[in-house]
Amino acid sequence: MSSTQVDTSGFGGYAGPVFRDGDAFTFEIAEHHLNGADRLHGGMMMTLAAIVLADVAKDAAREKEAEAQVRALSLNCDFVSAGEKGETITGRAEVTRATRTVLFISGELRAGDRILMTATGVYAIKGPDET
Amino acid sequence: MGPLFERGEDGERLFAFIVDERHVGEDGTVHEGMMLTFADAFLGSAAHRGADGKTCVTLSLQASFLKGAKPGDLVVCHPKLERKTRAIIFVSGRFSVGDEDVMTATSLWKVIGER
Repeated sequence: MSSTQVDTSGFGGYAGPVFRDGDAFTFEIAEHHLNGADRLHGGMMMTLAAIVLADVAKDAAREKEAEAQVRALSLNCDFVSAGEKGETITGRAEVTRATRTVLFISGELRAGDRILMTATGVYAIKGPDET
Repeated sequence: MGPLFERGEDGERLFAFIVDERHVGEDGTVHEGMMLTFADAFLGSAAHRGADGKTCVTLSLQASFLKGAKPGDLVVCHPKLERKTRAIIFVSGRFSVGDEDVMTATSLWKVIGER
């Protein structure tokens, strides 16, 4: 399967590029993603989790309505281990439950076998015209 | 992502940033990633102060997004040190634009080198 770049317009662009190949999201840690201690910046890691969870949420919402949008209501991120420069991060997420208006998403970021972050999010499903 | 602002003496301390076009996502409001990055930086600063200047790392951060902030908004963080033990610090925060809260967050920090 070919890989596509996830749409990270605006702020999400700082976290990128993020690529998606089926269920797997990949991202390489570069110099500008590091914090003062030369590890992957915590804000960056949460941004990456937010991008992965939102993309999976958007897919789930659009299975029912082609133009649907999602909005994050809540995100919970646990910092399991640190990321180093040059590592390739793989992100995955799945829908835990979908109701008509709300999606529960759960995911994780890994470097090889090592888990960097586990994350859960709750998303509201909106029609194309709702704000 | 800055500039980030900080004001106040010991005790009450406020943090803020002004939303601009770089911070927004596809829907025109601040990207969750930016809000989380902001929360990590400033709740972390409060944890660091709570740990008497020792280095702290994030263990967990939970955020609820109440309302989207837009370019031009001044987002102010009001941190609260909930509890500190030798090795663990609990910090919560309220994030407001004017009179309205846009996000609430709770976080858990490890003080490096303590157990």
